[in-house]
Amino acid sequence: MDFPILSVIILVPLAGAFVLLFVRGPALARWVALVVTVIDFLLTVPLFAGFDTTTYEMQFRETYTWIPAFGINYAVGVDGISVLFVFLTTLLGWICVLASWKSIEHKVKEFMIALLVMQVTMLGVFCALDLFLFYIFWETMLIPMYLIIGVWGGDNRVYAAFKFFLYTLAGSVLFLVGIIVLYFQAGETFDILALMEGNYSPTVQIWVFLAFFVAFAVKVPMFPFHTWLPDAHVEAPTAGSIILAGVLLKMGAYGFLRFSLPMLPYASQTLSMFVAVVSVIAIVYGGYLALAQDDLKRLVAYSSISHMGFVTLGLFVLNIHGLEGGILQMFNHGITTGALFLFVGLIYERTHSRLIADYGGLTKVAPIFATFLCIFVLSSMALPGTNSFIGELLVLVGAFGYDKSIAVLAVVGAMLSAAYLLGMYRKVALGAVENPLVQEAWDMDTREISSFVVLAVFVIWVGLSPKPFIDIMHVSAQHLLEQVLSRAP
Amino acid sequence: MIPLSWYVILGAVLFMIGLSGVFLRRNILVILMSVELMLNSANINFVAFSHFFQDLRGQVFAIFVITVTAAEVAVALGILVALMRNKRTLKVDEITIMKG
Amino acid sequence: MDFEALTRWFLTSIPEVIVISAACCLLMVDLFIKKGSRDVIAYLSLATVIGAAAGTFALAGSSQQAYSGMFVVDGFATFFKMVVYLATILSILLSMSFIKVEAIEQGEYYVLLLFALGGMMIMASGADLLSIYLGLELMALSVYVLTGFMRRDRRSNEAAMKYVILGAVSTGILLYGISLVYGLTGTTRLVDIATALSHIDGGDTALVLALVFLISGFAFKVAAFPFHMWAPDVYEGAPTPITAFMSVGPKAAGFAVILRVFLDAFAGASEIWIVVIAVIAVLTLAIGSLVALVQTNIKRMLAYSSIAHAGYALLGLVAGGEDGIASVMLYVFIYAFMNMGIFGAVIVMRKGDFVGENIADYTGLSKVRPGFALLMLIFLFSLAGIPPTAGFIAKFYIFVALIQSGNVALAVIAALFSAIAAFFYIRVVMLMYMKEPTGGFDLNLTPAARIALGICGAGTVLIGIFPSWFLDMAQISVF
Repeated sequence: MDFPILSVIILVPLAGAFVLLFVRGPALARWVALVVTVIDFLLTVPLFAGFDTTTYEMQFRETYTWIPAFGINYAVGVDGISVLFVFLTTLLGWICVLASWKSIEHKVKEFMIALLVMQVTMLGVFCALDLFLFYIFWETMLIPMYLIIGVWGGDNRVYAAFKFFLYTLAGSVLFLVGIIVLYFQAGETFDILALMEGNYSPTVQIWVFLAFFVAFAVKVPMFPFHTWLPDAHVEAPTAGSIILAGVLLKMGAYGFLRFSLPMLPYASQTLSMFVAVVSVIAIVYGGYLALAQDDLKRLVAYSSISHMGFVTLGLFVLNIHGLEGGILQMFNHGITTGALFLFVGLIYERTHSRLIADYGGLTKVAPIFATFLCIFVLSSMALPGTNSFIGELLVLVGAFGYDKSIAVLAVVGAMLSAAYLLGMYRKVALGAVENPLVQEAWDMDTREISSFVVLAVFVIWVGLSPKPFIDIMHVSAQHLLEQVLSRAP
Repeated sequence: MIPLSWYVILGAVLFMIGLSGVFLRRNILVILMSVELMLNSANINFVAFSHFFQDLRGQVFAIFVITVTAAEVAVALGILVALMRNKRTLKVDEITIMKG
Repeated sequence: MDFEALTRWFLTSIPEVIVISAACCLLMVDLFIKKGSRDVIAYLSLATVIGAAAGTFALAGSSQQAYSGMFVVDGFATFFKMVVYLATILSILLSMSFIKVEAIEQGEYYVLLLFALGGMMIMASGADLLSIYLGLELMALSVYVLTGFMRRDRRSNEAAMKYVILGAVSTGILLYGISLVYGLTGTTRLVDIATALSHIDGGDTALVLALVFLISGFAFKVAAFPFHMWAPDVYEGAPTPITAFMSVGPKAAGFAVILRVFLDAFAGASEIWIVVIAVIAVLTLAIGSLVALVQTNIKRMLAYSSIAHAGYALLGLVAGGEDGIASVMLYVFIYAFMNMGIFGAVIVMRKGDFVGENIADYTGLSKVRPGFALLMLIFLFSLAGIPPTAGFIAKFYIFVALIQSGNVALAVIAALFSAIAAFFYIRVVMLMYMKEPTGGFDLNLTPAARIALGICGAGTVLIGIFPSWFLDMAQISVF
């Protein structure tokens, strides 16, 4: 048996959380959390080194019997798609710790524990090869996230935490029923790979697809299930927002990729137009609402809805460009939006205001700050040379191959994003300094710069040379597409 | 020889009288008496069926019911006495302080 | 009837004999014990329960009958006996400090708990409607008295009065149903009823009527809609350890009886009762989940929560079959840990003049007592059915059984209600974690209470993460 690298990656944060229970003092707690998350991040290096990009098979598999009565195993493994998200999760892990270095002042230890438990569940979701195990991780995550928003959030945190919890839970319980139905349809197995082989009747597929759809659509979030997101984002502490935008939203899209598409090909093809239309609504509607926001965090939150619309659109146009674009866009969105939330969090530490109107002339006061903001704003609006350009372009190419009118509407959404993002940048960074609070804002320190530099590297790396990233996922994406299309509706 | 159905009808009538008494009367003692009627209607059924089947089981059951009911009434009266000490009333509507 | 058979019967029922004779002895021992050292009675009661559990262990593994087939010892009975032992042990541990605070420390308290335990054990083993009735009454009479044990407290008086009257009415209804069954089949033995039913037409009016009476009688015992109205008042008024005991022990024993009666004796008539039970289950779930949302007293809230949980267990009955039975068994077992746990938390809040029954009393608990708040958080999330706690496994198995039997619609309804029910559990979490405390928290954490809470917490977490062994136990214990 090889070294169980995936289990180690999943369990290191858990062990860290356990150690933290016995740690005294906020300073030490911060350092322990940082060390743990950095170790976890470094552990992905051997994961990538040993990763074989020529096969779509699951790699680094581990299987242990867990609940034999239901044939449930602790089974983990990664393919070209999930490995990217394992990486993204561990990357954002330590950035979150750094982001909460100063902004979290009370109950630091508890916060770090919640953050680490959160990381365990997210990694578990991306690695699980057993549907039951997946669901356990998927649901468990509600507990730390509920606490992160509700305990360390802003003024209206309780309302936001409740809304987040109940929306997600309502979606998830239907997902559970869908899972159990599939379990019996496939001959009593929760093995994800075996479930993909199953041939389910069209009626079953449609119903299970709808049950899954609610759960994933709430998480993504897709129109009309998106209303929890702006509240959750605005109230969550910076690290919470980064996790939410960077990883949590991806889990919904990942669910579509891993379950809806390969397991329910008939329903996916039949309902693809429905999902595509809903996605385009999200793109345009999210962008339109973002245009009207006067709160920085709310603006980024609505832009998230719009950008995640591109992801789901890419997944459901059912061709290789759309699919790869969608997956790449998931990764990009994690980097870029994570960075934008980090920016909002850091600037809030300085001025205690999130209103766009309170800002102006940041370039004069804090040039480094403004420069990084510029990079990520450009990335978010998908300027050529940045990561999102590649992703959105692929999605749009895929969409044009699917349906022209949908693609055109998506382009409109992309233009909207340029409008609100540039507008925001102009009001925040350019112009004269009018607010005395902004005048006093200090520039970034090394801790802050380090997070931004790493994120910026990925923005430009993916933007200029996307090939290595696409190579990692290509074989798996190709295989996924065959799984969907080989079984005609 | 009285046919079986007469006993069963008597049982049913007694049961209905008892049940309506429980729901309609407001005095705890009367309610307890109504409950007794319900239990005794079951006893009539047991004994009648027992005689019909020529099987002792029903009569055994009836004797057990009578014994247990005696204990039940003792407990109920004990609780009633405790309640009376704290609040001098036998009206159901007047003892209610918990709601919701 | 020879002496040898009598001895064998006696040995088969040795756990019940131990509990009931020990209860009688303790009643007398109590007379010779100084006031203020009543803990001795508690320890002796604990020893009795452990002794009975040892007896049950010794008898486990074989299926035996005693007393002319009125009493059986099989895996099913053993499993439920374990649940009621657990409930009794935890209740005794949690009572020790509580009855001192309430100044109701009397030896009879523990004796009545033991009698109730004896009744529940007879219910679990009952194979004849007569023995089931006797067990039920022994349990019920003891619990009536325990409910009113705080003699000077008006709420306790009122709760006991309501409980005893409504309990007697439900017994009357149940007995009338039993008498009809006896009239239809000529027997009260469950096995013989099943045989006799095969000769009776499914549409027989008398059979329908008999089943309706039986269902109503049992529905009262497990506080199912529409016979649930007593539960909130009784739960609120009773001494909290008794509320905890009631919500777990008698309920478990009630489900043992319901499963045996409906899935063994009346399995042949399932087309009559299954729809009725399904409707009752859904309405129980709905009432419990929705009314709990507006409660301000935590005991009342937990009463409605326990009504909702009875709804889930009834759904397992609707599912039927081996998995249906096993799912109810596992549900009841897991429910014992988490519900005793949350009531245990309410109990230790009671100290001095502080009552700690309002949900608002828990505001800011995590700031002052982080460990205790975390424990409550685990119980609450488990009751809400969120993994990785045991409550999720319990719900999951019910869903599996439902979907396996083709009741997907019921599973969807149950799933949606579980999302609604989560709201009032996490509201308590919200108060504990997200609000500032208004005062200090002086917890009555005696060693006994610590042990009880520790058992509940460990059970809730461990069964959640390693459910396999418990699942297998439930599955092999199906009758």
